This record gives sequence, structure tokens and C-alpha cells, in this order.
Amino acid sequence: MAEGRFVGRSVHRVEDPKLLTGSTRFIDDLALPGMLHCAILRSPHAHARVLSVDTSEALSLPGVAAVVSGEDALRWTERALTVPAGWGTHCLATDRVRFAGEPVAAVAATSRALAEDALERIRVEYAPLPAVVDAGRAARPESTPLFEEHGHNIVFQRRFRWGDVEAAFRGADRVVERSFRWHRLGANPMETFGVISQWDPVEGSLTCHGSFQSQSQMALGRAASLRLPSHKVRLISQPHGGSFGGKGGSRGTDITALLSRKAGGRPVKWIEDRIEYMSGGASQSWDRHYTASLALDRDGRVGAFRVKLLDDLGATAEGFGAVSAAKPLASFTGCYAIPVAEYDLTIVATNKLPGSPYRGMGPPPHNLVLEQLMDVAARELALDPAEIRRRNFIPPDRFPYTIPSGNEYDSGNYEAALDAVLELSDYAALRARQGAARAQGRLFGIGVVSTIEPGVFDWNAYSILGMPSTGVPEGCSVAIDILGKVIVRVGFAHEGQGQYTIATQLLADFFGVELADVQVVPQDSLSAPPHFGPGGSRLGVALAGAVLGAAEKLARKLSLVAAHLLQTESEKIELRDGAFAIRGVPGAMLSLAQVAGTMLARSDLLPPGVEPSPEATYVWTAPGRTQPDELGRAKSYLTAANACHVVAIEIDRETGRVEILDYFIADDCGTRLNPATVEGMIQGGVAQGIGAALLEEYHYDASGQPLTATLMDYLLPTIHDVPETRKTAIVTPSPFTPLGAKGVGEGAMHTTPAAMLCAINDALSPLGVVATEIPATPERLWRLMKEQPR
Amino acid sequence: MKPVPFRYVAASSAEEAVARLAEHGDDAMILAGGQSLLPLLNLRLARPSVLVDVSRIAELDYVVESDGALEIGAVTRKRTVEHSPLVRERHPLLHTATGLIGHAPIRSRGTVGGSLVQADPAAEYPALAVALGATLRVRGAGTTRTIVADDFFQGFLATALEPGEILAAVRWPLLPSRSGWSCLEFARRPGDFALAGVVASVSLDDTGRYCDARLVPFGVGPRPVRARAAEAALAGERPGESLHLRAAERVAAELGPPQSDAHASSEYRAHLTRVLVQRALAEAAARATSSRGRAPGV
Amino acid sequence: MSETFTIRLSVNGCELEGRAEARTSLADFLRHELGLTGTHVGCEHGVCGACTILLDGAPARSCLTLAVQASGARVETVEGLAVDGELHPIQRAFLEERGLQCGFCTPGFLVSTLELLRRNREPSDDEIRDALGGQICRCTGYQSILASVRRAAEKLRETDGG
Repeated sequence: MAEGRFVGRSVHRVEDPKLLTGSTRFIDDLALPGMLHCAILRSPHAHARVLSVDTSEALSLPGVAAVVSGEDALRWTERALTVPAGWGTHCLATDRVRFAGEPVAAVAATSRALAEDALERIRVEYAPLPAVVDAGRAARPESTPLFEEHGHNIVFQRRFRWGDVEAAFRGADRVVERSFRWHRLGANPMETFGVISQWDPVEGSLTCHGSFQSQSQMALGRAASLRLPSHKVRLISQPHGGSFGGKGGSRGTDITALLSRKAGGRPVKWIEDRIEYMSGGASQSWDRHYTASLALDRDGRVGAFRVKLLDDLGATAEGFGAVSAAKPLASFTGCYAIPVAEYDLTIVATNKLPGSPYRGMGPPPHNLVLEQLMDVAARELALDPAEIRRRNFIPPDRFPYTIPSGNEYDSGNYEAALDAVLELSDYAALRARQGAARAQGRLFGIGVVSTIEPGVFDWNAYSILGMPSTGVPEGCSVAIDILGKVIVRVGFAHEGQGQYTIATQLLADFFGVELADVQVVPQDSLSAPPHFGPGGSRLGVALAGAVLGAAEKLARKLSLVAAHLLQTESEKIELRDGAFAIRGVPGAMLSLAQVAGTMLARSDLLPPGVEPSPEATYVWTAPGRTQPDELGRAKSYLTAANACHVVAIEIDRETGRVEILDYFIADDCGTRLNPATVEGMIQGGVAQGIGAALLEEYHYDASGQPLTATLMDYLLPTIHDVPETRKTAIVTPSPFTPLGAKGVGEGAMHTTPAAMLCAINDALSPLGVVATEIPATPERLWRLMKEQPR
Repeated sequence: MKPVPFRYVAASSAEEAVARLAEHGDDAMILAGGQSLLPLLNLRLARPSVLVDVSRIAELDYVVESDGALEIGAVTRKRTVEHSPLVRERHPLLHTATGLIGHAPIRSRGTVGGSLVQADPAAEYPALAVALGATLRVRGAGTTRTIVADDFFQGFLATALEPGEILAAVRWPLLPSRSGWSCLEFARRPGDFALAGVVASVSLDDTGRYCDARLVPFGVGPRPVRARAAEAALAGERPGESLHLRAAERVAAELGPPQSDAHASSEYRAHLTRVLVQRALAEAAARATSSRGRAPGV
Repeated sequence: MSETFTIRLSVNGCELEGRAEARTSLADFLRHELGLTGTHVGCEHGVCGACTILLDGAPARSCLTLAVQASGARVETVEGLAVDGELHPIQRAFLEERGLQCGFCTPGFLVSTLELLRRNREPSDDEIRDALGGQICRCTGYQSILASVRRAAEKLRETDGG
């Protein structure tokens, strides 16, 4: 089934015509009758007690319908559920603010502009507290605790030891160790978060439209925080303008729900503006201090990998930033057959924005660290970086392969990917170019890296952080209507990955119809079968599982009916070219419409035991997931895609600016359901990876004030910054997934930052300096080069 | 974010604009292209009670050549300047500098006057004005005065404009024949504000030595000033790497430490200035050399 | 203090009228007063480019233009491209070359491309980059956008007959 008329081909996306004409409805394109607009007053202090909040003047402004503050939050909400538990707050500050930008009060008025005018009339008295801004100091017992009930700022601390790491380092021929600093950065989708909440005072229920990445997860969270029965919360995910993990929205949804409640049930819309997103939203991730080492033998084979990470989570654990620090367990040792490893993880709270998910959810910095150390070792051992990797790869016949941290890689052929990209890049010629450039004193560098992209997650592994098991199912219903059209109902909205097209391709192939005969219908959190939506590179695989599962169930039912109507046994029925036919008997067939129509309209003609319903629901979950053992080991991510990148760069000796000369990619994500979609995911990840490597960073000053407030300060890559890359595909299907596809949505984000820094360090190697800070800005590289005047 | 509430009036002549400013006093701000003002309004950092829109004043929207200069009305859009065949042919330095400003949609709306009045130290036009010795014509209540660029730019975001005055026009002197020029900047991404930049305009005498050199760094001090010590070091010398390095060192010394901020440290800005001065002089000298024996204005 | 204006302007060839406060941006006016929600708002400080429209033929940030400033102007938005549901050649090119993923930035890219190709039917890659340098896309990594603009230029040259 993998290569049908549509599956496996780069069909045009069904989402595109509406997007191209601007007719797709994003959240800010919706208006509901009686709708009010919300503006949020935010703390100017990074850390302070809230002494008083006086909203009386704001309330008296004409056009203002309701104002809420901490006392409303105390009355009507619970503190946010966090992972780990106990590091959350109410949606509005009650007695204390813990980051500059934290919501303190909010107004609902007849326009956003008016609501903002009203904010200026709210009087808040603060008593500033010492701000905890340095992660190292936050880890010390004497630092001012952000949460008095904890008395310290260590959100999580655990040393994972898999195997005898001490012995491996003692017995090593060579040890390489380096420290790295990866600065805060984050998702910044082009559309920020938005929500319209409507409280129903009669039913005591809440309905929210919003740019939710996972409407079901968000709904559960709202039921918990707003103290509502779960069946009284209905969330409708609107098509949204990207997420990359960082759409967030819990506070905004709760705040607008409170305002709607106070405004007698009028809908309240809040559109997070870019300033709010950057300093108060799900915009910041991976603020990390690493020290890591490899133990190697004289041939460059790695015997052990040890990582110490101090992760600066920010003020609360509400954004699932802690999960990002634990996810590296899923691919801890990368593509390499490293037998033992250690992870010494400390997550601290500081008075900065709570960290949120971002594409990759944690491994991208970890991969960068591993790949830098491989290169450091390679240089010391006078090995080509491609060669040292080759010597360490997990061989292709060892899959499924369990890594020391417990996850199982489904399949892979890392050497094939390496060979493919070396050939694509004409590696020998690149090195020759480098030689010629070096002879002229130019800083020409080549990075060769190989990484794993874990795909299709479950929450099981995160019980080590106290993650409650809410499951990660993906369900859909497939129906044939009376006229033979195929309808599939799903529980997620368009986000950009082309998943509706995938569902359409799968069903068109399955039922032998045209793409135009299939319609994807998104449903809300109460209507759809159990679902999660996009995340963790899961949806392509999970959706395929759900769609094919439902299609197969439906086809079995339809076959029974067709057999009965054609007066034969169901084993003799086959689904062929959009019809049910008796195998080997030409002409004996019934169309989809005929079978479905009979089921719906002529229940008297049906075989006994068959419902008059040409519809089936199927819920897919990743098979074989396990609970973590005492060492934290679990089968967490179902698939392990692989990418091998070769990038050539040049550093301007005078300014430190990096120019990307050429970029080559070999990517193995198993079966490609839509090759053009896969290439889009990869290239998008390359862009974000370049942003991470060279441009993107959130700065704070010593008092916790965010300095990176606008897109003039936070530098997103433009068309000038991202090269066209040359790509080739390797296909090692997954034995565990429908059709053998692997997750690829997070794509090159796992690989590009590592590739860029490896190339930079290769360029700098004649100077004897190593860049260990990301982003590698021109100024940082200039300073580094100054240290070694050569 | 949305702006604070304000009133809006559109002036149809320079006289009317001046009258409106007199009427509303300190409460009023001028709106021209809006590309600097609107972000400030949207962030509620600018909080005017009245906006006086000058962008529809047709009499201030023109590009003409007269008496050895290009005269451009203050309300002329940068896009007009960018696409003007007159500017491209007669003032390639102005043409090039204009193309460096932001991005096309910003240049569509932004005006020539706006950049000059905003006086952002990282902007190209103020530095260019100082390098060329441009003159700015200012209209007040019943007055018109002409201010040379050197005197117009007084400090960080501060100009010689008095309350109630508007900039009416700027005269950009044409480059002498047999001269060379360069406008270089270092920004993190094309179109971003420069971390440092240099405008260079040089002439070489018949023996190929510098006889008139103007160097104006930008982005590295509160206002653009000519680097006179460096210019003096060039006078009478032939272009060359070591001379240009000496000039660059003089520029840095004369400047004093540039500002430090989240985008770049003082030290790095100073270093970039030295690098850019050398590159700009090399480029300007090469242009000057190849222009010798060609028609004026080329 | 909140004075409202009646603003009359041409949008995609139609004479339209609406009310706005002085402080209302053209973006908000187009979207919420005129119901033309195809133009999107990403930052309100003029950097992301999602709000780009054509104002009197030139690309402009509608978030950095007051609605009152567009009075009497000729505005073109993404809604003006397709005719009776039939995609414009530029839109077709983006469809074929996958020049979009989430689609939020797309209208800004489309109108910028429209303006570029009106004045330059055979843009070089550098010219394409210069025209689109102020438009940010977070999804595609730009490669497919470049391919889309090249394809769009080709399509328009074909309909030109050369």
C-alpha cells in the first residue's frame, strides 16, 4: 500500500487553495456576537510581592465590561498543573509575581484599544524582591526561593547512570571534555496565540475557540485549572499559523474564561500580540549550561558519554520546559553504539519566562554537544569527522536497538546516509576547496554530523518527572456517505504540516477514489474521538495509523454487506478501484455509494448483526510502550529517523560573520507519505537551526528584565540567511508503524545547529580555538579569534 | 499593542502644517511616513494628543537637480528616491545609501525628511548628509532657515528643529567629477539597523593622491560627525592598505568609545568601524581611480 | 477624544467605505471593519511582513499605516488575486512549488511577489531575495518560496506571450 496512486507521491496539498486566497479562518478572523476584547496587565518586575490591585477606575471607563485580577483567580481557579508537580501558579498573580511579563490583571472591553486604555487605569502596588537570574546561583541553597513552600529553586535533580561510567572513563585511552552554553531561544511562529472564550452561566460550561496545538490536552488542563467537570469544557482548535511547540495559551484561555464569566457569558477574545508572546508567552526554551565528556579508545571508538546539564527553566514549570530536559533520554547516545552513559540533570527556577516546548523538545542542544565532542576527539586523533562517526555507528543489522538510556530505535542505516551525503556534497572536493582557502589564510570550515530525530512520543517516559499519564491517542472516524463520498473526522486543526493532505491521500488510495472525493472534517474536543494532535513528530505516523485502522474496520463492515448483497462469502470480496467486487468475477460489483446507501436506507437488506452505519472509528496509540524502570529507562519514542548533514561555511576573519556556502542533507525518515511535505519539514528545520546557530537569543539584564522585546531584537532568519539546500533521501522503513513511516516534523532542528557549530569549529581549528556558545554571533566569534592571534 | 487615543489632522501645505503645530504645541507630533513613529505609537512609547500628517503635502514631494545638488522635498518617499532615474544617474551614492535602508515596504512609506528628523545614529541619511555637507531647509511660523547638516544633528535623536518647525527640503550636493564613494554598513541581517557603518566620499588629484576625503562613521556615536583627523591623515597621500589602516585607527581614536547594548559591545563596534573604514576607503579609492577621465556625475 | 473618520478607498478595484478611529491601523481596518481577513497581523512593529499589502502599487506594512492615511488610496490585498475562485498564476505557482506550510505569512509574500513581477518579469535570485527580504516565514525555510516565485515569473511570461 506504500506506493499507491497518491501515498508516497508529492500531491498538492488540499489545505493550500484556502490558505493561498486568504480565506482560511485563523482565530483573529473570527468574531462572535457580543464579543469583547481582552487586554492583560503584566508585571514590570521580575520578582515582587503584589501588595494591592485597584481596578475600580478601570471598571468605570465606558466600554469596559469586566476586570479580573488575582482575587478572581483565587476564587475561581486552581494553580496550574505542572510537570514536575507543585511549580505552578494561578493564571493571574495572586500574592507574588515571578517574571517580568506575568499577568496581574485583565480587562474585557468593546475594543482591544479601549481595553489597553483601561489597563493604564489599574493601580498595582509592588514590593520588589531580589531577582534570581543566574542559573548557577539559583541552584545554591541561599538563593531567594521563588516558591516559598519549596524553600529552594531546584525544580528537578537526578543523576541517571546507565552502566559503569566511572570504569569506562578510567580505562579510556583518551577523554575529551568541554563545556557549552546554549542561550534561550524559541518558537516564534508567525501567528501568536489567540483565543475566544465563552462561559455559559446556565450550563456552567466553557467553550473556547483558539489556536490550540492540542485541543484535548488544553481542555483537560482548563477543566483542572477552572475547576470544571471535563465534559463541560469544549475546545475548538482553529487552523493556526504554525506552532513549533510554542503556542501555549493556558493562561490566556483561563483569563478570558474568567472575564467571560464576569461579563455574564459574553465571548471574550484575546489575541496575544508579539510583545506579549516574546515576554509572556510560550516563546522561550533551552536555557542551558552543559559540561560533557567522551571516553574513547585510540581508534576513536567511544566507550562512554557523560553529560552534566544545568537547565534554567524560568519561573514556573507551566510550559513543560522540564520535559524538554528529559527528552534527550530518547536518543541520548545519538547514532553511536556507545555502551554506557550518564546524565546529571539539574533544572532550576529563575525569575525569567517559564520555558516552553520548541521544535525538537530538548535533543537539539544535546545533539550539538555530542557532535562537538565527536569532532574534538576527531581532531585530537587526526581522524576525519566522517570517519570517526562511521567507526561508532550502530550497525544496520542491530535494529531494533536499545540505547543505554532505555529507548529503542526501530531501524536505521546511518552509514548509508553518511555515504549518501558525502557523495551528494562531493566531500573530497569540498576538502580540497578548504585546503585551497586555508592556503590563502581563509577560515573555511566543513561540518559533518549525524543525528537521530525521535518520533511519535508517549507520556510514559515522563513519569520520571511526575507527568500524569493522560495518554497520547490519535483517533478518527471514517464514513462513506450515501453518495459514496469519504468523510474523515479528526481532532486537530491545520497547523502547517499538511496532515489533512496525508489523510486524504491515504483514504483516496484505500478506497480507490479521487483526492477530491475525500473531505477532512475537524471536530472539537468533545466531538472527536480520543486525540492529541501534532507534537513530538507523531502526527504523520499516528494519523496514518488512525486513518488506516478506521478504513480497515469500515471496509470489513462494507465487505460483509457487499457480500450479502452480491450473495457470496465475504472472503471472496475485494475492494478494487472504488468498488466492492467478487474476486475473479468481472461485472459483479457494487460501488461505495451503493453499499453505503443500502446500509443507510435499506436496513431490511442487511445481513444480521450489521449496524446500518457505513462509518468506523479507530484510535491508534504507539504500541509496546513501557513504564520507566528504576534507572529511568523506557521505550519512549517509537521511531528514530536519522539525518546526516554536510555544511560548508566561511568565517570573515575581520568581522566574525559566518557565510554558509553549501548545505547538503541525507535524511532517512522511513517511508515518505508525501515527499514534498517531508522536504518542507526538513528545510523549515534547517532555517530554525540556522537561526539557533547564528541569530536567535533572548537576553535578560541582571535584574531579570527582558531585553529582547521585539522582532527587531530577536533575529529570525530571513530569505537572505537560509541557503537552498540539496537533499537526498534514504529510506529505512520502520517495522513498527503503519506503512513504515517515521516522524519527521521536527526534522533538521535536531541536526542543523550541530552541523553549523561543527563547521564553525572546523573553520577555527587552525587558530586553535573552539566556539562553545550558541548562537555563534559575529561578535562572539570575533572575540574568540582575538584570543589566539595567528 | 494599540496606540493611545489621539486626534488626527492632515495638512495640505507646509504653511498649514506649521500653523497646526503652533495651534497644538507640545501635544502634537508630526506624522510623515510613520515607519519610525508607528512602532512607537503601537508600543505606547509615543503618546501624542494630536498627529499632524504632513505626508500629503504635495509641494514637499519632489526630486530635482539644481545648482550642483539634488534637492529633495522632505515628504518624498524613499521608494521614489530609490527608483528615480535622476538619482541613480546623478547621485549613485544617494541611490546606494537609500537601497540599504530597511526593506522595500518600509521604503514605500518612509520619507526622506523622516529619517533626517528622526536622527537615529544608526541611520544612513544623517551620515550621508554630514559627509556631503547637505543643507536642510526648515520652515517655522513665518520663517524659513537653512541649516548645514553638521549643525542640524545635535545628539542622540536630537536635531536643531525648534518646536513648531518642520523640515521642508534637503539639498544633497552632487559628487565632484573624478571622485569615488562608498557606503558600507555591518548589520546582522540585510535591512537591520547597522551596528556600524561608514560613508566615504573621496577625490584624487592628478597624481592620484587624496585631495578631498570625507569620512563619516555611523551607528557608533550619538550623532554623525566627520572624522576630520582621519581625513587629514589621508590628505596628500596615495591610497593604500597601510594608509587606510592608519586612517581607520584615527577614526576610532577620534570617535571615542561607541555605545554598548544588547546588539553589540562598544569594543566590537569600534572594531567594526575600523574594518569598515578600511573597506570603504578601498572601495571609494577604486571608484575614484576608475572615474578619472570620465564625464561628471558618473 | 476618540474621533472616528469615514474612510473611503479602493480595495482590489472596489470602492469601499468604513469607519475607524484615528489610531486604527490600516491592517485592523481592512480585517475587522471591511472583513478582509486575508491580510494577517504578526507583530505590529513592521518587521515580520505578514501585514504587507500594496498601497498605490507599492508594498507597504498595513500595521505601520493608519487607516486614515489610506483614505482615497488604491489598496490591493490577497483577496484581489483569485477571480471567481480561480487562482492567480502566482497563487498557482505557490501551490505547485509548495511555497507555504501554515499559510499565515503567505498573503504578504503573494502581494510582494505580485509587485516584484509587475516591474520585473525576469527577476534574478538576488532580485527575488531583495524584494522578499522583509517578509519572514517560519515554516518553509524559503527554498520553496524561491522556487514558487521563479515558477510564477515563468507563468506570467508565458501568458505575456514571451
